[in-house]
Amino acid sequence: MIKLQDIEKVYQSDNGTIHALRGVNLSVKQGEIFGIIGTSGAGKSTLVRCINMLESPTKGIVTVDGQELTSLNEQELREQRKKIGMIFQHFNLLSSRTVYQNIAFPLELAKRSKEDINKEVLHLLELVGLSDKKDQYPAQLSGGQKQRVGIARALANHPKVLLCDEATSALDPQTTKSILELLKDINRKFQLTIVLITHEMQVIKEICNQVAVIEGGKIIEQGKVIDIFTQPQSNTTKEFISSIINHNLPDFFKEITLASEPSADSNLILRLSFIGHSTEEPVISSMIRRFTIDASILYGNIDHIQTIPFGTLIVELSGEQASLQQALSYLKTRELGIEVIGYVARNARAVG
Amino acid sequence: MSQEMLVLLAKSLWETTYMVAVSSFISALLGIPLGIILVTTNKGHILENTPLNRILGAIVNATRSTPFIILMVAIIPVTRLLVGTSIGTNAAIVPLSIAAIPFVARIVESALKEVDYGVIEAAQAMGASPREIITKVLIPESLPAIVLGLTLTIISLIGYSAMAGAIGGGGLGDLAIRYGYQRFRADIMLITVVILIAQVQIVQSTGDYISNRLNKK
Repeated sequence: MIKLQDIEKVYQSDNGTIHALRGVNLSVKQGEIFGIIGTSGAGKSTLVRCINMLESPTKGIVTVDGQELTSLNEQELREQRKKIGMIFQHFNLLSSRTVYQNIAFPLELAKRSKEDINKEVLHLLELVGLSDKKDQYPAQLSGGQKQRVGIARALANHPKVLLCDEATSALDPQTTKSILELLKDINRKFQLTIVLITHEMQVIKEICNQVAVIEGGKIIEQGKVIDIFTQPQSNTTKEFISSIINHNLPDFFKEITLASEPSADSNLILRLSFIGHSTEEPVISSMIRRFTIDASILYGNIDHIQTIPFGTLIVELSGEQASLQQALSYLKTRELGIEVIGYVARNARAVG
Repeated sequence: MSQEMLVLLAKSLWETTYMVAVSSFISALLGIPLGIILVTTNKGHILENTPLNRILGAIVNATRSTPFIILMVAIIPVTRLLVGTSIGTNAAIVPLSIAAIPFVARIVESALKEVDYGVIEAAQAMGASPREIITKVLIPESLPAIVLGLTLTIISLIGYSAMAGAIGGGGLGDLAIRYGYQRFRADIMLITVVILIAQVQIVQSTGDYISNRLNKK
């Protein structure tokens, strides 16, 4: 649906040249919710504006719905833009128009008839749940309501693609959730392709199927959200993920000495990561039944990426050294991520 | 006060109103588009054109920095060309308009600059042409500020029109000088000043009222 090839963007500013994008390649499939995450200044705003050519790339090709946008003239480009909706961090509604008139605006631009516009707007108002606010002005609305107007306005011309530029960054967590729900709803109902940029991993986790991490004008990591979450490669990605999922060891591990090799009477500390259905399998209890060992959970965290459960457990296993090794081999045969954190001397800490 | 004086007052009031009304209309007619061009040809705006922007900016500044009384005399040839004479109320309208056009242009410019660029960007993202952005976004969004600016223009023109007496333009200011000052008629002086104050008050209140009604922020 969207294809970006070797996109580069160079700005000339008073303080010299700014290389905002350095060769970005991206492809978004029909019906996907594609998230782009990056810190401020990473180039994500520029990137999303290249998709509808609000920023024309210095180099590279932008294709949306089979139409190459980079080769169009102004007039043709304006026609194509009517098929790409966009919502903004600060909503960007017209303050001199009512809610109704704001939603009607893109339809006026598309030269639709009055009756047509009326029918369409009333329908959109219902879709975003603002039918009772139609004659109010944006100044009388809350942030969440403003963004709903923004969404209705963006959907008015039945776009194939919706671009979201930090659409929830100015909203409180509760409102963010309801806006994300609305976007998910729209995605399902109309098979609408959504590209959203954000600096909040929570947003990605909540609604995206695919994610790209951008840093210094380059995509440094890209893939399915579940893969990126469970196996982040770069430090930036790890940092983003750690903002909502803790991959680091809990603090109390700093106070005990870990050995990498087992000794006669040491306990084994493991990190198990679960993805999807393996979380439903009673791995730990069956391990305890099979081998004569004890297990205590030191730390646990189970979360959902949309409908897929995943989590990590840090467990301490105690027992005969041979049984411990058997248990470890057993665990390795299950569909789990296993990481040996180390061995601790028995009684090094009170097992809780 | 004599019947004769009252007739003179009424005539002067009409002349001032006429001069101010016509020159306000002309300066709005030309100043608003000029202000729009000044904004939209700015760097990074929808019709970026730096040379045009610089040239227009320089002309506007040159006109604005010329004192009105000098401008009025300096452009007498132009006035003669346009209205056939350099004396009288109609002749005074030419320098009044020429002085007010750049004033309006700058006021409109600063009003339009207040429009959040994000809103313009949103309109562009919806496929709006520069023309549609001007007529459907820039002007409606800044209308309250434009109305206040025009109010200010009218009030300035009431003040300037008093100087138009110097080229026989007539009006209340002329009356105040010729009768109130030169013939020591304190009563005439007082009455014209009161009328001028009332005029300014009415214009300001009307402008404020309209601007408030338009403002939905």
